[in-house]
Amino acid sequence: MSTDYKFEGWLGKDKQCAQGQMEWGEFEPKTWEEHDVDIKVECCGVCGSDVHTLSSGWEETPYRHEIIGRAVRVGTEVENIKVGDRVGVGAQAGSCLKADCSECSNGLEAYCMGIGSTNTYGSIYPNDMGKSYGGYSTYNRTHSHFVFKIPDGLESADAAPMLCAGATVYSPLKQNGCGPGMKVGIVGVGGLGHFAVLFAKALGADEVVGISRKAGKKGDVLRLGADRYIATDDDKDWATSGARSLDLIISTVSSEDIPLDGYLGLLKVRGTYIQVGLPDGGKLPLVSAFLLIDNAIKIGGSAIGSPGEIEEMLQFAVDKNIKPWVEKRPMEDANQAIVDLQAGKPRYRYVLVNEA
Amino acid sequence: MSKPVKNSASSATQRVLSLSNHLKNSLNPADDLQKAAKMATDYKFQGWMGLDKNASKGEMKWQEYEPKTWTEDDVDIKITHCGICGSDLHTLRSGWGPTLYPCCVGHEVAGIAVKVGKNVKHLKVGDRCGVGAQSSSCLDCEECAAGMEQYCPHGNVGTYNGKYPDGSKSYGGYADYCRAPAHFAVKIPDGLSLAEAAPMLCGGVTVWNPLVKNGAGPGKKVGIVGIGGLGHFAVLWAKALGCDEVVAISRTGGKAIDAKKMGADRLIATDEDDKWAKKNSRSLDLIVSTVSSPKMPIAGYLQLLRTNGQFIQVGAPEDVLPAFNVFALIGKGCKLGGSGIGSPADIAEMFEFAVKNNIHPFIQERPMKDANQAVVDMDAGKARYRYVLVNEKHAEEEKARI
Repeated sequence: MSTDYKFEGWLGKDKQCAQGQMEWGEFEPKTWEEHDVDIKVECCGVCGSDVHTLSSGWEETPYRHEIIGRAVRVGTEVENIKVGDRVGVGAQAGSCLKADCSECSNGLEAYCMGIGSTNTYGSIYPNDMGKSYGGYSTYNRTHSHFVFKIPDGLESADAAPMLCAGATVYSPLKQNGCGPGMKVGIVGVGGLGHFAVLFAKALGADEVVGISRKAGKKGDVLRLGADRYIATDDDKDWATSGARSLDLIISTVSSEDIPLDGYLGLLKVRGTYIQVGLPDGGKLPLVSAFLLIDNAIKIGGSAIGSPGEIEEMLQFAVDKNIKPWVEKRPMEDANQAIVDLQAGKPRYRYVLVNEA
Repeated sequence: MSKPVKNSASSATQRVLSLSNHLKNSLNPADDLQKAAKMATDYKFQGWMGLDKNASKGEMKWQEYEPKTWTEDDVDIKITHCGICGSDLHTLRSGWGPTLYPCCVGHEVAGIAVKVGKNVKHLKVGDRCGVGAQSSSCLDCEECAAGMEQYCPHGNVGTYNGKYPDGSKSYGGYADYCRAPAHFAVKIPDGLSLAEAAPMLCGGVTVWNPLVKNGAGPGKKVGIVGIGGLGHFAVLWAKALGCDEVVAISRTGGKAIDAKKMGADRLIATDEDDKWAKKNSRSLDLIVSTVSSPKMPIAGYLQLLRTNGQFIQVGAPEDVLPAFNVFALIGKGCKLGGSGIGSPADIAEMFEFAVKNNIHPFIQERPMKDANQAVVDMDAGKARYRYVLVNEKHAEEEKARI
């Protein structure tokens, strides 16, 4: 069935596109099914994964996944969305959704390994349904299970980056008990890191500590709500003076060259370090077994968030009046935006807006 | 009440002075004289001493040594049994760091309390008790207050090769007697033999802790890497805790029959099928790893974890942990952690569990006089599955006493 709107967007055709060479063109969305929703895109966040993917650091593909828009077509099987609703899509567009899948049936869709586990861009749908395309576009089509109604009280440009960046840090903060009684450290203060500071504070952590390389971000980090700041390049004794001071660390950086033993040493006994940043090749420095054994600490990982967590987070953001630090850019500037992202310029998330 | 004499008096003079002070105030001098005669120890502190790195090759020497300086917080244990722990070998050969020779190893020490300090409330002379791998901590910090003495960052002293705050050295259980701060001496319940309690004091509790703290029990599938001293305990505990499935993971299938006797449902032999990780992918909620080789196939082990599964390393390598890909953790929301020994409270809880569930470790008793050979055999991986040195004279006396 054809629509009276066209699916067009910024396509990444090869590895060079990450240098600001995406091309505007039409694309064939996935085949319509009655559980799908078509969304007229209002705006879309620019995520680090976009760049990794575009430059094929991880996999070859087109594009983005922090999408906000209006539902313009809603399948007959869809119960949670109606035409005209303001909705969003995050990094995941599909999972097997089978009743016997221990992930899907336990609110862990993000970790589903079944057939149908699909990213919002760059994935192939099962049963020849086509490819998934993201949000640097005019329209997006996604399974309704992964489409979220955006609560009133949350602006579109603020909600967009929460769908991936926000969820990716909200999930491990919640899963690891961030709240009163906990001291939490956030490594890396960029798109994800700034959300982590905002959420950790709003969840009621006793202390939130921003950890980055240089002193330059200190002012912003404290304004975001952190209680203190560690600049690892500038403060020579940071590892020893901060030993055993934190219950939980969320690390959003994606370089393989990090002082991991130093970060781990900041953890109190039975503390946890969660890596959400994705280094190319998955490489981290070698871990000292004694550090793990002598302090009973754990290193973990976490990826995006499940639909249940995303909905909870969006409502939490409204309830706690969380305002991310977002910079709006016109959709036509997408190429320049991804170049600027790689140069580390956003303070702290770009959102591309469809002006049409 | 007499004041204790300090400073320049030697320890022997101190004992004599405190005895005479005690007798002055006594109501029944004749009895007290007898008791007093026994109090200045009529037993010698002597044991198998490692003198240099070759000690682990069967070259320990039976010698006397000067034990920790006595305080009223201490207990002297007449040793009947002492388990041989892998750590003993690492220490005898300075594998983890330079050892303070001469060193008497053995930190799975069980026996009878023969001298108990005045400040000690939970033990009396004649009690069956044991000491594990830790014999002192500051008892004043957040960790100590929370029953996590093993993670105390100040004044954490090992039962051997350690130095107490007063400067005296700690000596372990390949010996006749062992002196330790009583806080770390755990009463051994009736229903648990001294021979079986001994190896639980380090080996047993080191795997008990991560199993229990990470929810091993009904609904969970647990894997144990390495079926040796620690690994065999882990299988016994995991089964008794009611795990849905207990999977032994070893290099070859040679231990499959024993593993099943211990309670494992199956065994994965990682050297015998190069698709083992793929075939068993996403099948376990918790893995406790007792091995410590830099060649361990850690990526494969992580593949075995289900979503949100945990891998806990307890084996302490002389080298580093092999590298692993962090996507293995991120892609499944998994965690990789570590755990070290157990606190006195953990040990006591574990003893009770062992008695209640009638758990019997797979031990092989060896005479204390054969300690050198036993150490060599341990190093060659021959134990099935824990050697326990028996101080035959003391063990006989204890049997006669009961």
